[in-house]
Amino acid sequence: MAYKFKKQIFGFMDLLRYKKKVPIRRQKLAEGSPAPLPVSYRVNETAKILHPGSQQAELTGIVQNTPDTKTYLFRSEKPFFFRAGQYLTLGCEVDKSFVSRPYAISSSPKEALDRKLSLTVKKCGFFSGYLFDRAKVGDKFTLGDPSGEFCFEPVKDSPQVLGIAGGSGITPFYSMAQSIAEGTADFSLTILYGARTEADLIFKAQLDALASDRIKVIYVLSEEQKEGFEHGFIGADLIKKAVSGDFTVMMCGPQAMYEFAEKELAAFGLPLRRIKKEANCVGLRDVAEAAHKLTVHCGFETREIPASARETLLVAMERAGIRAPAKCRAGGCGFCHSRLISGKFSIAGADKRRLADEKFGYIHPCCTYPDSDMEIEVPRG
Amino acid sequence: MKQFDAVVIGAGNGGLVAAIRLLQGGAKVLLVEKHNLPGGFATSFRRGRFEFEASLHELNDFGTADNAGDVRVLFDELGVTDKIEWLQIPDAYRVIVRSEGLDAVMPFGVEAFIDRMESYVPGSRPSMRKFFDLGEEIRQAQAYTASVNGKADSKVMVSRYGNFVRCGSYSVNEVLRTLKMPQKAIDILSAYWCYLGAHLEDMSFIHYASMVYRYILRGVSMPKMRSHEISLALVSRILELGGEVLYNTEAVKILQDEKDGGVAGVLLADGTEIRTRHVVANCAPHLVFGRMMDKVTEADIRATNARKFAGRGLCMFLGLNRTADELGIRNHNYFLYDTSDSVAQYEKMKTIRENSAQATVCLNRADPGCSPEGTCMMYFTTLYMSDDWGNVSPKDYFKTKDLVANKLIDRFERDTGARIRDSIEEISVATPMTYARYCGHPQGVIYGYESQYWDGLMPRLQMMDEDHTVRGLRFAGGYAMRLSGYSSAYFSGDISGRQTVGDLKREG
Repeated sequence: MAYKFKKQIFGFMDLLRYKKKVPIRRQKLAEGSPAPLPVSYRVNETAKILHPGSQQAELTGIVQNTPDTKTYLFRSEKPFFFRAGQYLTLGCEVDKSFVSRPYAISSSPKEALDRKLSLTVKKCGFFSGYLFDRAKVGDKFTLGDPSGEFCFEPVKDSPQVLGIAGGSGITPFYSMAQSIAEGTADFSLTILYGARTEADLIFKAQLDALASDRIKVIYVLSEEQKEGFEHGFIGADLIKKAVSGDFTVMMCGPQAMYEFAEKELAAFGLPLRRIKKEANCVGLRDVAEAAHKLTVHCGFETREIPASARETLLVAMERAGIRAPAKCRAGGCGFCHSRLISGKFSIAGADKRRLADEKFGYIHPCCTYPDSDMEIEVPRG
Repeated sequence: MKQFDAVVIGAGNGGLVAAIRLLQGGAKVLLVEKHNLPGGFATSFRRGRFEFEASLHELNDFGTADNAGDVRVLFDELGVTDKIEWLQIPDAYRVIVRSEGLDAVMPFGVEAFIDRMESYVPGSRPSMRKFFDLGEEIRQAQAYTASVNGKADSKVMVSRYGNFVRCGSYSVNEVLRTLKMPQKAIDILSAYWCYLGAHLEDMSFIHYASMVYRYILRGVSMPKMRSHEISLALVSRILELGGEVLYNTEAVKILQDEKDGGVAGVLLADGTEIRTRHVVANCAPHLVFGRMMDKVTEADIRATNARKFAGRGLCMFLGLNRTADELGIRNHNYFLYDTSDSVAQYEKMKTIRENSAQATVCLNRADPGCSPEGTCMMYFTTLYMSDDWGNVSPKDYFKTKDLVANKLIDRFERDTGARIRDSIEEISVATPMTYARYCGHPQGVIYGYESQYWDGLMPRLQMMDEDHTVRGLRFAGGYAMRLSGYSSAYFSGDISGRQTVGDLKREG
């Protein structure tokens, strides 16, 4: 190159400076403190409270809320924190298989910092049946990380939130109401809470006690006409009475409620950014029973297990006692991300795989049904 | 007990490449990753109808098939280039600086870049030409140094790469002033500094020029399906070559040989012991020497304590329910600064309260189809030059996140005139706590050890041999000899992977 770089008048001074770079670094490294290196760091410790990962918890109390709903109180091994509306998985060994299910947290974020947590469970399936019939105070359970996006997001949401809750779908809203009251969240919440009869309402007394200028609950009974309660289903008229102006809708309840409410909401012309819906777990597939063979590679182990065409791959693995990762059970969170080696399959729920997952053959077993014998590689749960 | 020739700890960019190099060298390899996905920061995530890129702004030094950059050459050798669909990024960057009232859009291509600079700063051409000439000589000198594994012959260096050696001890600002570059041109050219995370009085000119030159020379690329596509492509190559990959599997200890203190095995979190004599650690020496090894020499402790953490990361992801055109987002890559004085800017980036500087990307400007029709998506990245997030309690965490998100949005709207706030459909914010959680990095650092004047690229490369202090243990990733960034991390994996193959061959 024609150009000759020189910073100092004599270029060799620049050369000398360059030659000192290594000795200088050598010296700097040698001059470092001999004190032990930190074992952890503040940010990492805070991260452990925000995302405690899998932890143990002891069942400390059981409260019957309605004939088919109970609230389970836990003391967690570690303090943690979450955003009201989030869920976590509760799991334990049932008949030699580790089983877990996601439940919305019904206690407040602040209480979790004191290691107190409650989950409200409706009796409707295998694991809730186990909890209802067999769980007792003192039993040990495994809790997963608080997860999910069904939360008030102050940067984008309207400060006025309309909650539409059906049955046990009230649990995340109850946590939100407590969060507003204790000051860990800042928004107004009006809840339209639908149930069949007054006796089916969970947390009515607690919600009434929390009522304020920012927390309001309107009870809607479908099978009972009573003073002080709305009657019927949650429709456009009730929504109009409950909120006006700009609002964000958050819905949590059974699929039938979503279908009805979405039709009713159409009249309001809300953009997608104003509507949040909590996903429900993927259940049984309505097809003829067929038995397939599922080959599962997990860690250094390989197992062959039966898999029913009616059930997800995750359920097949749980039945066989394989501890596969499981969190949302709705295809959304990606926690069970697994590699497909061979076989045909169908996907239910929201297929929230990433683009490259499809390209390179990855699936979410929690929302995938086998259509043939299959072989998959699953991370350890 | 399971036995492997080598265990790679961490499936980040460096670990993935190291694993392929080891397998290509004939080794039996286990790759363990504590998260459930490969890639480390090189990943993506779904929110609503969007799939967000987690970290990659653009892949530097990739180029095209007929103008291949070093990363493409590496990917060709690894056998992964064709597993990935590549896009070219249109413009290099738009830099907006408040205090100087600067607003410039810079193109790729050396000539185009010099011409555009001349149009913004008349008279800048001669100094810009010298800058790029130095850039080319630096590239050649680095290629030579790499070809001799860091053991450069000083006579060869002085005779063939004299300018490299003569500018090699100076900071970016010292060299640019020596080139008599007009201040405004320096300000525009400095925009990329936040990608390396040390201010320009401290950062070695060679490091900066080598990066900028590669950016401008060949343009930059993006995988069509976000960086998750690269990570899965690398994993698929590892599997093709017979490697084993375990996710949700944390390595907690590196077991040491009684006699020489070198690597004897790896202990996994579930208690499994893996026997091996070689580890490539794709994580911070602070973690390895701080808690993964029982017997660490005082020299290693001193050397690790001497180093300075680089920027702690924060990234906000927005899915917007209007198009970039509708919102007034004209460019792919924005740098928004308060001041062109990188020392003053670096100071402001020490606190949550003061910092709203950002490197912001609208991915649709590179790939219009990356989000559903009628939408676009953006990601806003900033760095914290101190451990200020360590002062945030769990109870204040979400509020602090929202505060920063609002600052970044306000800043972007004010500086660019775009309107985005009322169109946010999805938002997610990754903080230092998020990076600490997923990748385990101390303090949520995303840039490894800072490129300080004494710990920059060249002395690290020249000292690769003497930095290798524990038999069987080599490092890859952002804390290693190539410093941080995608391409650097891939190269560190390449170097440590190949060196470990050499170690294995010597052992026989």
